[in-house]
Amino acid sequence: MQASINNLHFLLRRLHSLLGLLPAGGFLIFHLWENSQSRFGATYYNDQVVGWLQGLNYLVILEIFIIALPLLFHAGYGLVILSSGQGEWRRFSWLHHRLYWLQRVSGVAILLFLLFHVGWTRIWAIWEPAIKLDLFGHMQALLSQPTIFLLYLTGLLLSLFHLSNGLWTMAISWGLTTSAEAQQRWFFFCTGLFALLAALGLHGMLGFVL
Amino acid sequence: MKTIDFQIRRQDDPYSPPYWQSFSIPYRKGHNVVSALMVIRENPITQEGHHVDPVAWEFNCMEEVCGACSMVINGRPRQACSTLVDTLTQPIRLEPLSKFPVIRDLMVDRSRIFSDLKKVRAWIEIDGAWDIHQGAPRVSPEAWKENYLYSRCMSCGCCMEACPQYGETEDFVGPASLAAVRLMNAHPTGQYHKAQRLHAIMAEGGLSDCGNAQNCVRVCPKEIPLTTAIGELGRQVTLQMMKDLLGKSE
Repeated sequence: MQASINNLHFLLRRLHSLLGLLPAGGFLIFHLWENSQSRFGATYYNDQVVGWLQGLNYLVILEIFIIALPLLFHAGYGLVILSSGQGEWRRFSWLHHRLYWLQRVSGVAILLFLLFHVGWTRIWAIWEPAIKLDLFGHMQALLSQPTIFLLYLTGLLLSLFHLSNGLWTMAISWGLTTSAEAQQRWFFFCTGLFALLAALGLHGMLGFVL
Repeated sequence: MKTIDFQIRRQDDPYSPPYWQSFSIPYRKGHNVVSALMVIRENPITQEGHHVDPVAWEFNCMEEVCGACSMVINGRPRQACSTLVDTLTQPIRLEPLSKFPVIRDLMVDRSRIFSDLKKVRAWIEIDGAWDIHQGAPRVSPEAWKENYLYSRCMSCGCCMEACPQYGETEDFVGPASLAAVRLMNAHPTGQYHKAQRLHAIMAEGGLSDCGNAQNCVRVCPKEIPLTTAIGELGRQVTLQMMKDLLGKSE
Protein backbone atom coordinates (compact mmCIF):
# COMPACT_ATOMS: atom_id res chain seq x y z
CA MET A 1 0.00 0.00 0.00
CA GLN A 2 0.90 3.65 -0.34
CA ALA A 3 3.07 2.69 -3.30
CA SER A 4 3.03 6.27 -4.49
CA ILE A 5 4.93 7.41 -1.39
CA ASN A 6 6.97 4.32 -0.55
CA ASN A 7 7.98 3.81 -4.16
CA LEU A 8 9.49 7.03 -5.47
CA HIS A 9 9.09 6.11 -9.15
CA PHE A 10 5.76 7.86 -9.58
CA LEU A 11 6.67 10.95 -7.54
CA LEU A 12 9.93 11.40 -9.45
CA ARG A 13 8.09 11.23 -12.80
CA ARG A 14 5.54 13.76 -11.60
CA LEU A 15 8.26 16.01 -10.20
CA HIS A 16 10.04 15.85 -13.56
CA SER A 17 6.78 16.75 -15.28
CA LEU A 18 5.95 19.59 -12.88
CA LEU A 19 9.42 21.16 -12.89
CA GLY A 20 9.34 21.24 -16.71
CA LEU A 21 6.41 23.65 -16.50
CA LEU A 22 7.16 25.40 -13.22
CA PRO A 23 9.63 26.88 -12.80
CA ALA A 24 11.48 25.91 -16.03
CA GLY A 25 8.70 26.71 -18.55
CA GLY A 26 7.58 29.72 -16.55
CA PHE A 27 11.12 31.07 -16.47
CA LEU A 28 11.49 30.54 -20.22
CA ILE A 29 8.38 32.64 -20.87
CA PHE A 30 9.59 35.34 -18.48
CA HIS A 31 13.05 35.21 -20.09
CA LEU A 32 11.61 35.76 -23.57
CA TRP A 33 9.35 38.59 -22.39
CA GLU A 34 12.26 40.19 -20.55
CA ASN A 35 14.52 40.04 -23.61
CA SER A 36 11.82 41.30 -25.97
CA GLN A 37 12.66 44.67 -24.36
CA SER A 38 15.83 44.67 -26.47
CA ARG A 39 13.75 46.69 -28.96
CA PHE A 40 14.04 49.74 -26.64
CA GLY A 41 17.78 49.94 -27.33
CA ALA A 42 21.08 49.49 -25.49
CA THR A 43 20.70 52.15 -22.79
CA TYR A 44 17.19 51.11 -21.69
CA TYR A 45 18.06 47.40 -21.85
CA ASN A 46 21.30 47.68 -19.89
CA ASP A 47 19.96 50.11 -17.26
CA GLN A 48 16.31 49.16 -16.81
CA VAL A 49 16.12 45.45 -17.76
CA VAL A 50 19.53 44.06 -16.76
CA GLY A 51 19.99 46.70 -14.05
CA TRP A 52 16.65 45.80 -12.41
CA LEU A 53 17.48 42.07 -12.50
CA GLN A 54 20.95 42.64 -11.08
CA GLY A 55 19.44 44.49 -8.15
CA LEU A 56 16.93 41.73 -7.24
CA ASN A 57 16.92 40.63 -3.62
CA TYR A 58 18.55 37.19 -3.12
CA LEU A 59 19.39 37.07 -6.85
CA VAL A 60 21.94 34.23 -6.66
CA ILE A 61 19.68 32.12 -4.45
CA LEU A 62 16.79 32.68 -6.83
CA GLU A 63 18.99 31.74 -9.76
CA ILE A 64 20.08 28.52 -8.08
CA PHE A 65 16.71 27.39 -6.69
CA ILE A 66 14.34 28.67 -9.37
CA ILE A 67 16.45 28.16 -12.47
CA ALA A 68 19.53 25.98 -12.07
CA LEU A 69 18.46 23.13 -9.75
CA PRO A 70 14.97 22.50 -11.24
CA LEU A 71 16.47 22.59 -14.74
CA LEU A 72 19.26 20.22 -13.75
CA PHE A 73 16.80 17.76 -12.24
CA HIS A 74 14.49 18.01 -15.27
CA ALA A 75 17.41 17.43 -17.63
CA GLY A 76 19.03 14.68 -15.54
CA TYR A 77 15.83 12.71 -15.02
CA GLY A 78 14.92 13.37 -18.65
CA LEU A 79 18.09 11.51 -19.64
CA VAL A 80 16.98 8.63 -17.39
CA ILE A 81 13.60 8.54 -19.18
CA LEU A 82 15.42 8.70 -22.51
CA SER A 83 17.05 5.36 -21.72
CA SER A 84 13.61 3.71 -21.82
CA GLY A 85 11.70 3.16 -25.03
CA GLN A 86 12.71 3.05 -28.67
CA GLY A 87 12.54 5.96 -31.08
CA GLU A 88 11.14 3.91 -33.99
CA TRP A 89 10.91 7.21 -35.88
CA ARG A 90 10.34 5.61 -39.27
CA ARG A 91 7.94 2.92 -38.20
CA PHE A 92 4.76 4.99 -37.87
CA SER A 93 4.13 8.41 -39.37
CA TRP A 94 1.33 9.55 -37.04
CA LEU A 95 1.81 13.07 -35.70
CA HIS A 96 2.04 12.34 -32.00
CA HIS A 97 4.43 9.46 -32.57
CA ARG A 98 6.75 11.85 -34.42
CA LEU A 99 6.32 14.43 -31.64
CA TYR A 100 7.13 11.75 -29.02
CA TRP A 101 10.43 11.23 -30.81
CA LEU A 102 11.06 14.94 -31.29
CA GLN A 103 10.37 15.61 -27.60
CA ARG A 104 13.24 13.28 -26.71
CA VAL A 105 15.64 14.54 -29.35
CA SER A 106 14.87 18.18 -28.55
CA GLY A 107 15.52 17.52 -24.86
CA VAL A 108 19.11 16.51 -25.59
CA ALA A 109 19.58 19.31 -28.13
CA ILE A 110 18.30 21.92 -25.66
CA LEU A 111 20.69 20.63 -23.02
CA LEU A 112 23.62 21.13 -25.42
CA PHE A 113 22.31 24.56 -26.44
CA LEU A 114 21.95 25.64 -22.82
CA LEU A 115 25.54 24.66 -22.01
CA PHE A 116 26.62 27.03 -24.77
CA HIS A 117 24.03 29.72 -24.00
CA VAL A 118 24.59 29.88 -20.23
CA GLY A 119 28.34 29.49 -20.64
CA TRP A 120 28.62 32.46 -23.00
CA THR A 121 26.48 34.78 -20.91
CA ARG A 122 25.99 34.04 -17.21
CA ILE A 123 29.10 31.90 -16.56
CA TRP A 124 31.49 34.00 -18.65
CA ALA A 125 30.24 37.13 -16.88
CA ILE A 126 31.56 35.76 -13.57
CA TRP A 127 35.12 36.39 -14.83
CA GLU A 128 34.32 39.21 -17.21
CA PRO A 129 32.24 41.92 -15.42
CA ALA A 130 32.17 43.99 -18.63
CA ILE A 131 29.57 41.55 -20.00
CA LYS A 132 27.16 42.39 -17.19
CA LEU A 133 27.67 46.11 -17.67
CA ASP A 134 26.88 45.98 -21.39
CA LEU A 135 24.91 42.78 -21.91
CA PHE A 136 23.17 44.40 -24.89
CA GLY A 137 26.49 44.93 -26.64
CA HIS A 138 27.62 41.41 -25.77
CA MET A 139 24.46 39.84 -27.18
CA GLN A 140 24.60 42.12 -30.22
CA ALA A 141 28.13 40.93 -30.96
CA LEU A 142 27.07 37.30 -30.57
CA LEU A 143 23.83 37.45 -32.56
CA SER A 144 25.40 39.47 -35.39
CA GLN A 145 27.24 36.30 -36.39
CA PRO A 146 24.87 34.33 -38.66
CA THR A 147 25.92 30.92 -37.27
CA ILE A 148 25.28 31.98 -33.68
CA PHE A 149 21.99 33.63 -34.70
CA LEU A 150 20.92 30.35 -36.32
CA LEU A 151 22.06 28.40 -33.28
CA TYR A 152 19.99 30.65 -31.03
CA LEU A 153 17.01 30.42 -33.34
CA THR A 154 17.22 26.62 -33.29
CA GLY A 155 17.64 26.61 -29.52
CA LEU A 156 14.64 28.94 -29.17
CA LEU A 157 12.32 26.91 -31.41
CA LEU A 158 13.33 23.56 -29.91
CA SER A 159 12.86 24.88 -26.39
CA LEU A 160 9.42 26.23 -27.23
CA PHE A 161 8.47 22.99 -28.98
CA HIS A 162 9.64 21.02 -25.94
CA LEU A 163 7.61 23.28 -23.66
CA SER A 164 4.43 23.25 -25.80
CA ASN A 165 4.49 19.52 -26.48
CA GLY A 166 5.41 18.89 -22.86
CA LEU A 167 2.38 20.92 -21.83
CA TRP A 168 0.23 18.80 -24.15
CA THR A 169 1.47 15.45 -22.79
CA MET A 170 1.45 16.77 -19.24
CA ALA A 171 -2.29 17.42 -19.52
CA ILE A 172 -2.83 13.71 -20.27
CA SER A 173 -0.37 12.46 -17.64
CA TRP A 174 -1.96 14.53 -14.90
CA GLY A 175 -5.47 13.76 -16.13
CA LEU A 176 -6.47 17.29 -17.16
CA THR A 177 -7.54 16.16 -20.65
CA THR A 178 -9.08 12.71 -20.95
CA SER A 179 -11.30 12.53 -24.05
CA ALA A 180 -9.78 12.56 -27.52
CA GLU A 181 -11.72 15.78 -28.24
CA ALA A 182 -10.31 17.52 -25.17
CA GLN A 183 -6.81 16.37 -26.09
CA GLN A 184 -7.32 17.78 -29.60
CA ARG A 185 -8.55 21.15 -28.27
CA TRP A 186 -5.61 21.31 -25.87
CA PHE A 187 -3.29 20.52 -28.78
CA PHE A 188 -4.62 23.57 -30.66
CA PHE A 189 -4.03 25.68 -27.55
CA CYS A 190 -0.47 24.39 -27.18
CA THR A 191 0.24 24.98 -30.87
CA GLY A 192 -1.04 28.54 -30.53
CA LEU A 193 1.12 29.06 -27.47
CA PHE A 194 4.13 27.79 -29.41
CA ALA A 195 3.49 30.28 -32.24
CA LEU A 196 2.95 33.18 -29.84
CA LEU A 197 6.09 32.48 -27.81
CA ALA A 198 8.15 31.90 -30.97
CA ALA A 199 7.11 35.37 -32.18
CA LEU A 200 7.99 36.87 -28.80
CA GLY A 201 11.38 35.14 -28.73
CA LEU A 202 12.24 36.07 -32.29
CA HIS A 203 11.23 39.67 -31.62
CA GLY A 204 13.66 39.72 -28.69
CA MET A 205 16.48 38.28 -30.78
CA LEU A 206 15.89 40.73 -33.62
CA GLY A 207 15.89 43.62 -31.14
CA PHE A 208 19.60 43.09 -30.54
CA VAL A 209 20.67 43.07 -34.17
CA LEU A 210 18.27 45.39 -36.03
CA MET B 1 -2.32 -16.28 -63.81
CA LYS B 2 -3.19 -13.64 -61.24
CA THR B 3 -1.50 -14.40 -57.92
CA ILE B 4 -1.28 -13.19 -54.34
CA ASP B 5 2.37 -12.74 -53.34
CA PHE B 6 3.70 -12.99 -49.81
CA GLN B 7 7.02 -12.32 -48.13
CA ILE B 8 7.06 -14.12 -44.81
CA ARG B 9 9.60 -13.76 -42.03
CA ARG B 10 10.47 -17.28 -40.91
CA GLN B 11 12.23 -18.44 -37.78
CA ASP B 12 12.68 -22.13 -37.02
CA ASP B 13 12.86 -21.90 -33.23
CA PRO B 14 13.23 -19.23 -30.53
CA TYR B 15 17.03 -19.27 -30.77
CA SER B 16 17.73 -19.47 -34.49
CA PRO B 17 18.12 -16.41 -36.73
CA PRO B 18 15.15 -15.22 -38.81
CA TYR B 19 15.09 -15.41 -42.62
CA TRP B 20 12.63 -14.42 -45.35
CA GLN B 21 10.75 -16.61 -47.84
CA SER B 22 8.42 -15.65 -50.68
CA PHE B 23 5.25 -17.50 -51.60
CA SER B 24 2.59 -17.08 -54.31
CA ILE B 25 -0.91 -18.48 -54.32
CA PRO B 26 -3.56 -18.27 -57.06
CA TYR B 27 -5.74 -15.17 -56.72
CA ARG B 28 -9.15 -15.70 -55.24
CA LYS B 29 -11.56 -12.94 -54.35
CA GLY B 30 -12.24 -12.36 -50.66
CA HIS B 31 -9.14 -13.96 -49.13
CA ASN B 32 -8.10 -12.78 -45.72
CA VAL B 33 -4.54 -13.29 -44.47
CA VAL B 34 -5.43 -16.40 -42.44
CA SER B 35 -7.25 -18.10 -45.32
CA ALA B 36 -4.33 -17.25 -47.62
CA LEU B 37 -1.86 -18.73 -45.09
CA MET B 38 -4.01 -21.88 -45.09
CA VAL B 39 -3.59 -22.14 -48.86
CA ILE B 40 0.19 -21.76 -48.46
CA ARG B 41 0.15 -24.45 -45.77
CA GLU B 42 -1.57 -26.92 -48.13
CA ASN B 43 1.31 -26.62 -50.54
CA PRO B 44 4.31 -24.96 -48.88
CA ILE B 45 6.47 -24.31 -51.93
CA THR B 46 8.39 -21.03 -52.21
CA GLN B 47 8.45 -18.86 -55.33
CA GLU B 48 11.85 -20.44 -56.11
CA GLY B 49 10.22 -23.89 -56.08
CA HIS B 50 11.70 -25.16 -52.81
CA HIS B 51 9.50 -27.40 -50.71
CA VAL B 52 9.72 -25.98 -47.16
CA ASP B 53 8.16 -26.49 -43.75
CA PRO B 54 4.65 -25.00 -43.56
CA VAL B 55 4.44 -21.56 -41.96
CA ALA B 56 3.47 -21.66 -38.28
CA TRP B 57 1.02 -19.08 -36.99
CA GLU B 58 -1.86 -18.89 -34.51
CA PHE B 59 -5.56 -18.36 -35.11
CA ASN B 60 -8.83 -19.36 -33.51
CA CYS B 61 -12.06 -17.45 -33.89
CA MET B 62 -11.81 -15.98 -37.42
CA GLU B 63 -14.04 -13.08 -36.31
CA GLU B 64 -11.61 -10.71 -34.56
CA VAL B 65 -12.61 -11.50 -31.00
CA CYS B 66 -9.93 -13.92 -29.77
CA GLY B 67 -6.77 -11.92 -30.51
CA ALA B 68 -4.69 -14.96 -31.43
CA CYS B 69 -3.77 -14.11 -35.03
CA SER B 70 -1.96 -10.81 -34.35
CA MET B 71 0.98 -10.25 -36.66
CA VAL B 72 2.70 -7.37 -38.41
CA ILE B 73 1.13 -7.10 -41.86
CA ASN B 74 2.82 -4.64 -44.22
CA GLY B 75 4.41 -2.94 -41.23
CA ARG B 76 1.26 -2.59 -39.20
CA PRO B 77 0.24 -4.78 -36.25
CA ARG B 78 -3.25 -6.19 -36.85
CA GLN B 79 -5.41 -9.31 -36.87
CA ALA B 80 -4.69 -11.63 -39.79
CA CYS B 81 -8.29 -12.93 -39.85
CA SER B 82 -9.92 -9.54 -40.36
CA THR B 83 -7.29 -8.21 -42.78
CA LEU B 84 -8.60 -8.64 -46.31
CA VAL B 85 -6.00 -9.40 -48.94
CA ASP B 86 -7.79 -7.21 -51.51
CA THR B 87 -7.09 -4.13 -49.34
CA LEU B 88 -3.32 -4.77 -49.15
CA THR B 89 -0.46 -3.79 -51.44
CA GLN B 90 1.61 -6.74 -52.67
CA PRO B 91 3.89 -8.45 -51.95
CA ILE B 92 2.23 -8.76 -48.54
CA ARG B 93 4.90 -8.76 -45.84
CA LEU B 94 4.10 -10.88 -42.81
CA GLU B 95 6.22 -10.62 -39.67
CA PRO B 96 5.74 -11.84 -36.11
CA LEU B 97 5.04 -9.21 -33.43
CA SER B 98 8.48 -7.79 -32.62
CA LYS B 99 7.86 -6.97 -28.95
CA PHE B 100 7.35 -10.59 -27.88
CA PRO B 101 9.68 -13.62 -28.06
CA VAL B 102 9.21 -15.62 -31.26
CA ILE B 103 8.31 -19.28 -30.79
CA ARG B 104 8.31 -20.16 -34.47
CA ASP B 105 7.65 -18.19 -37.68
CA LEU B 106 4.66 -15.92 -36.95
CA MET B 107 3.92 -17.46 -33.55
CA VAL B 108 4.98 -15.42 -30.54
CA ASP B 109 4.84 -15.96 -26.79
CA ARG B 110 2.45 -13.38 -25.39
CA SER B 111 2.28 -14.79 -21.88
CA ARG B 112 3.79 -11.54 -20.59
CA ILE B 113 0.45 -9.84 -21.28
CA PHE B 114 -1.20 -12.15 -18.77
CA SER B 115 1.49 -11.63 -16.15
CA ASP B 116 1.20 -7.85 -16.60
CA LEU B 117 -2.59 -8.08 -16.19
CA LYS B 118 -1.96 -9.89 -12.92
CA LYS B 119 0.60 -7.24 -11.94
CA VAL B 120 -2.00 -4.46 -12.24
CA ARG B 121 -4.68 -6.53 -10.49
CA ALA B 122 -6.93 -6.60 -13.56
CA TRP B 123 -9.64 -8.72 -12.00
CA ILE B 124 -12.63 -8.21 -9.76
CA GLU B 125 -12.95 -9.93 -6.43
CA ILE B 126 -16.54 -11.11 -6.14
CA ASP B 127 -15.98 -12.99 -2.93
CA GLY B 128 -14.18 -12.16 0.27
CA ALA B 129 -14.27 -12.63 4.02
CA TRP B 130 -17.57 -10.73 3.97
CA ASP B 131 -20.35 -9.99 1.47
CA ILE B 132 -18.87 -7.52 -0.98
CA HIS B 133 -22.22 -6.45 -2.37
CA GLN B 134 -25.87 -7.29 -2.01
CA GLY B 135 -27.84 -8.08 -5.11
CA ALA B 136 -26.76 -7.24 -8.63
CA PRO B 137 -24.61 -4.08 -8.82
CA ARG B 138 -26.27 -1.27 -10.80
CA VAL B 139 -24.53 0.69 -13.54
CA SER B 140 -25.98 3.68 -15.37
CA PRO B 141 -26.53 3.18 -19.13
CA GLU B 142 -23.97 5.95 -19.79
CA ALA B 143 -21.28 4.29 -17.68
CA TRP B 144 -22.14 0.88 -19.15
CA LYS B 145 -21.73 2.25 -22.67
CA GLU B 146 -18.26 3.58 -21.88
CA ASN B 147 -17.18 0.48 -19.96
CA TYR B 148 -18.30 -1.73 -22.84
CA LEU B 149 -15.69 -0.13 -25.13
CA TYR B 150 -12.90 -1.32 -22.81
CA SER B 151 -14.44 -4.75 -22.23
CA ARG B 152 -13.84 -5.58 -25.90
CA CYS B 153 -10.08 -5.92 -25.35
CA MET B 154 -8.89 -9.36 -26.50
CA SER B 155 -5.25 -9.03 -25.32
CA CYS B 156 -4.07 -9.32 -28.91
CA GLY B 157 -0.92 -7.27 -28.27
CA CYS B 158 -1.28 -4.87 -31.22
CA CYS B 159 -1.22 -1.77 -28.97
CA MET B 160 1.93 -3.05 -27.28
CA GLU B 161 3.56 -3.81 -30.61
CA ALA B 162 2.96 -0.21 -31.77
CA CYS B 163 4.02 1.39 -28.48
CA PRO B 164 7.57 2.83 -28.51
CA GLN B 165 7.71 2.47 -24.72
CA TYR B 166 6.85 -1.24 -24.74
CA GLY B 167 9.48 -3.91 -25.32
CA GLU B 168 11.00 -7.11 -24.05
CA THR B 169 13.60 -5.14 -22.07
CA GLU B 170 11.15 -2.49 -20.81
CA ASP B 171 9.11 -2.58 -17.60
CA PHE B 172 6.10 -0.82 -19.16
CA VAL B 173 2.94 -2.94 -18.92
CA GLY B 174 1.50 -1.38 -22.07
CA PRO B 175 -1.80 0.27 -23.02
CA ALA B 176 -4.08 -2.82 -22.79
CA SER B 177 -3.18 -3.55 -19.16
CA LEU B 178 -3.75 0.12 -18.27
CA ALA B 179 -7.13 0.11 -20.03
CA ALA B 180 -8.02 -3.01 -18.01
CA VAL B 181 -7.38 -1.00 -14.83
CA ARG B 182 -9.68 1.72 -16.17
CA LEU B 183 -12.40 -0.91 -16.76
CA MET B 184 -12.02 -2.72 -13.43
CA ASN B 185 -11.91 0.55 -11.46
CA ALA B 186 -15.24 1.58 -13.00
CA HIS B 187 -16.97 -1.66 -11.98
CA PRO B 188 -19.29 -1.31 -8.95
CA THR B 189 -17.60 -4.26 -7.22
CA GLY B 190 -14.17 -3.69 -8.71
CA GLN B 191 -14.00 -0.18 -7.29
CA TYR B 192 -13.30 -1.60 -3.81
CA HIS B 193 -9.76 -2.37 -4.99
CA LYS B 194 -9.28 0.82 -6.96
CA ALA B 195 -6.47 2.09 -4.71
CA GLN B 196 -4.53 -1.18 -5.00
CA ARG B 197 -4.77 -1.09 -8.79
CA LEU B 198 -3.73 2.57 -8.89
CA HIS B 199 -0.76 1.86 -6.63
CA ALA B 200 0.22 -0.98 -8.96
CA ILE B 201 0.26 1.34 -11.97
CA MET B 202 2.07 4.06 -10.00
CA ALA B 203 5.08 1.73 -9.64
CA GLU B 204 7.79 0.99 -12.22
CA GLY B 205 6.39 0.04 -15.60
CA GLY B 206 3.07 1.69 -14.79
CA LEU B 207 1.13 4.65 -16.12
CA SER B 208 3.93 7.21 -15.91
CA ASP B 209 6.05 5.13 -18.30
CA CYS B 210 3.60 6.07 -21.08
CA GLY B 211 5.24 8.49 -23.53
CA ASN B 212 1.97 9.71 -25.12
CA ALA B 213 2.99 8.69 -28.64
CA GLN B 214 -0.63 7.50 -29.02
CA ASN B 215 0.16 4.79 -31.58
CA CYS B 216 -1.86 2.34 -29.45
CA VAL B 217 -5.20 3.96 -30.13
CA ARG B 218 -4.51 4.09 -33.89
CA VAL B 219 -3.69 0.37 -34.25
CA CYS B 220 -6.21 -1.13 -31.81
CA PRO B 221 -8.36 -3.52 -33.90
CA LYS B 222 -11.24 -3.11 -31.45
CA GLU B 223 -11.04 0.70 -31.56
CA ILE B 224 -10.71 0.89 -27.78
CA PRO B 225 -10.17 4.51 -26.62
CA LEU B 226 -6.83 3.60 -25.01
CA THR B 227 -5.55 7.17 -24.79
CA THR B 228 -8.77 8.24 -23.07
CA ALA B 229 -8.22 5.45 -20.54
CA ILE B 230 -4.68 6.75 -20.01
CA GLY B 231 -6.00 10.31 -19.45
CA GLU B 232 -8.71 9.10 -17.06
CA LEU B 233 -6.17 7.02 -15.15
CA GLY B 234 -3.92 10.09 -15.09
CA ARG B 235 -6.65 11.92 -13.20
CA GLN B 236 -7.25 8.92 -10.91
CA VAL B 237 -3.57 8.62 -9.96
CA THR B 238 -3.28 12.40 -9.47
CA LEU B 239 -6.12 12.20 -6.94
CA GLN B 240 -4.62 9.03 -5.42
CA MET B 241 -1.29 10.82 -5.04
CA MET B 242 -3.05 13.68 -3.23
CA LYS B 243 -4.76 11.16 -0.93
CA ASP B 244 -1.43 9.46 -0.21
CA LEU B 245 0.49 12.67 0.35
CA LEU B 246 -2.12 14.95 1.90
CA GLY B 247 -4.79 12.63 3.28
CA LYS B 248 -8.31 11.75 2.17
CA SER B 249 -11.11 14.24 1.58
CA GLU B 250 -13.76 12.24 3.40
